[in-house]
Amino acid sequence: MSTRITIDPITRIEGHLRVDVEVENNAVSNAWASCTMWRGIETILRGRDPRDAWMFTQRFCGVCTTVHAMASVRSVEDALKLPVPPNAQYIRNLILIAHGLHDHIVHFYQLSALDWVDILQIPKADPAAASRLAESLSPWPRNSRNEMKAAQDKVKAVAASGQLGIFQNGYWGHPAMRLSPEVNLIAFTHYVQALEYQRKALQVVGMLGSKTPHIQNLQVGGVANAIDLNSQSALTMDKLEQIHLLLAEVAQFVNQVYFVDVCAVAAMYPEWFKIGSGVTNYLAVPDLPLDSEAKAYDLPGGVIMQANIAGVQPFKTASDAVFRESVTEDVTHSYYEGSKPLQPWAGETEPQFTGWSADKKYSWVKSPRYKGQPMQVGPLSQVLVGYAQGHPLTKKYADMALQQVSAIAKVNATPAVLHSTLGRHAARAIRACMLSELADKHWNLLVNNIAKGDLAVCNPPEFKSGESEGVGTHEAPRGTLSHWIVVKDGKIKNYQAVVPSTWNASPRDQNGAHGPYEASLLHTPLARPQEPLEVIRTVHSFDPCMACACHTFDPSGKQIARVKVL
Amino acid sequence: MKKKITIGGIGSVLLGDDGIGPYVAGMLEAQYGFEEGVTVVDLGTPGLDLVAHLSGIDAAILIDSVKNDEPPGSVTIYRKEEILRLGPAPVRMDPHSPALSESLMIADLTGEGPSELVLIGITGQHYEAATGLSQTAEQAAEKCVEAVLAELDRLGISYWKLRKEPFSAWWNPIAEAHPSAENNLTAQPVLS
Repeated sequence: MSTRITIDPITRIEGHLRVDVEVENNAVSNAWASCTMWRGIETILRGRDPRDAWMFTQRFCGVCTTVHAMASVRSVEDALKLPVPPNAQYIRNLILIAHGLHDHIVHFYQLSALDWVDILQIPKADPAAASRLAESLSPWPRNSRNEMKAAQDKVKAVAASGQLGIFQNGYWGHPAMRLSPEVNLIAFTHYVQALEYQRKALQVVGMLGSKTPHIQNLQVGGVANAIDLNSQSALTMDKLEQIHLLLAEVAQFVNQVYFVDVCAVAAMYPEWFKIGSGVTNYLAVPDLPLDSEAKAYDLPGGVIMQANIAGVQPFKTASDAVFRESVTEDVTHSYYEGSKPLQPWAGETEPQFTGWSADKKYSWVKSPRYKGQPMQVGPLSQVLVGYAQGHPLTKKYADMALQQVSAIAKVNATPAVLHSTLGRHAARAIRACMLSELADKHWNLLVNNIAKGDLAVCNPPEFKSGESEGVGTHEAPRGTLSHWIVVKDGKIKNYQAVVPSTWNASPRDQNGAHGPYEASLLHTPLARPQEPLEVIRTVHSFDPCMACACHTFDPSGKQIARVKVL
Repeated sequence: MKKKITIGGIGSVLLGDDGIGPYVAGMLEAQYGFEEGVTVVDLGTPGLDLVAHLSGIDAAILIDSVKNDEPPGSVTIYRKEEILRLGPAPVRMDPHSPALSESLMIADLTGEGPSELVLIGITGQHYEAATGLSQTAEQAAEKCVEAVLAELDRLGISYWKLRKEPFSAWWNPIAEAHPSAENNLTAQPVLS
């Protein structure tokens, strides 16, 4: 006899993701991921000027603003076959890196750490012992007893108020929580510090993009930053030095805190390297172009099918012909009209709401497929396709993570353990280290190029009559993002965005194949089915973001039960 | 020391009246000047990124669409205590009501939250995927601006009117779009 559990919604940030699982003998026997709200925002773009599209797409999601702006200008540049000056590539890359670092830090500390860290154990910790342990793991200068004590006092104050305030909704004391009071305290101390460093990363986005959360410096063909090392109204050496300093501070936090914490927490929950693999087809696109025509990249892309790492198929470019031909969207189990999978350029979004039905339609998310197969996207995909190709930077940090986990857990962690819930966390930390190293590289590329006297930032676009198609991709913090545009006589004829969370949260397709969230939950053991912490751990490991819907403030505070057991 | 004040418009400009927050922020930016220390910002739909915007300031004045029992176009003021009382969203986090109270609680936890926060809420009429405000919401925008200015008066912050031209949002429907309003194709952004 199975029990059905509905979790609605599961993201701590923004709602709209619903997960239903069937539980038999304290393990998940079936799963459904669904999105509870229709977007259809792409229709707003039809008929508009392609040069303006990025300003609208930047509003798709309030958390991933820059990524949708970037994919949009790239889609138009692809349709026009328009190269982008090197300065523009480097400035864009620095924005993408800073945004990615911000996002990964927020995801681990603010959005998922408390799935593993038990806040209520913290008052029992010995701050001196916590400090000694943290200092044995990392040279980070802010692991002192005083730092630990200050963080512990914050938790004690919240606990003493009788209400848990911000922490009132955790699964504290759950049998799947297993860290010592001291490790819980270390993680929470870094939770508080993380808020400072994510803000520094955002500052970089604001300085280069002129505003945050919505950058203003993009243009189809390049960027709008005026470069003049001596003028106050332009990008000056002063500002560049400030940016360099901020990126270095964030890099130190990533290397000495985030990466170390992920390895330590992972080493203390080794069974989670065997849980949550799900779909082991991986997709990532190359990103951080190194030249005007984007022939070389600092982040590799490609495809791995069925965990066959040796059989990796690399992508040469970010709009690789194979990629363009292989992506389709299926609506068999989505609330849309249509009977066969369509390529995004021919994509339709005619709603057909039927209500949630386990074996018919149950989600507003479409099912993107690659050559007909479900694909996992995200940092894990990027790290695996890079590792499989022997990409030196990927190997450097991935091997370092595996060694660190092996040393703490006293096991032999091989790359195979990455096909898991913890693998997704580890890969995100690995990617953050790669990005922080690349931040320095791309800053130098920009400064050296300017020093050569090249001040060009934009190649103005020209639209001819007739129709052309373009795809703009970006390997975003949550994975492969692609914007598909059809331009006709200088106006937008069709526009579809295939976003990372759509790949991962997709419902079953016409063949009945589960999407990645669904597949990853199968067989997960649950200690207390009425408190499905384990389900939340795996779903959060993907860094879900289904946002993009209405954000009206509801002062009544009405809330539907978090978890419903039927 | 000048007080640090953030005036922030919250909402999605792609979802009809949910765009009222950014709209009012746009009006204030176009039509008024403020004393040093005041920042006017279109925050979009920031989720927990709101923490960064609420940290290290003395007061926040936020403008947002609200769901309450008032008729569309009503302007209602909510203060920090009422918002904190909602607590973090356990669940059906109506996506940012949780993020607002949650972000405020996190900013307070670090000791960097604003001592005063007021939310100026407009009851909207239409929230479908579309750009542009309903007439009701557009009329309420003027009342919102007055509410923001009254709040600045209460905080002892000075401001002045710049010009009287009607404000036109760059995200308006195609027929009335004014692409140059915020469009970088014609204007170079100033890096700050």
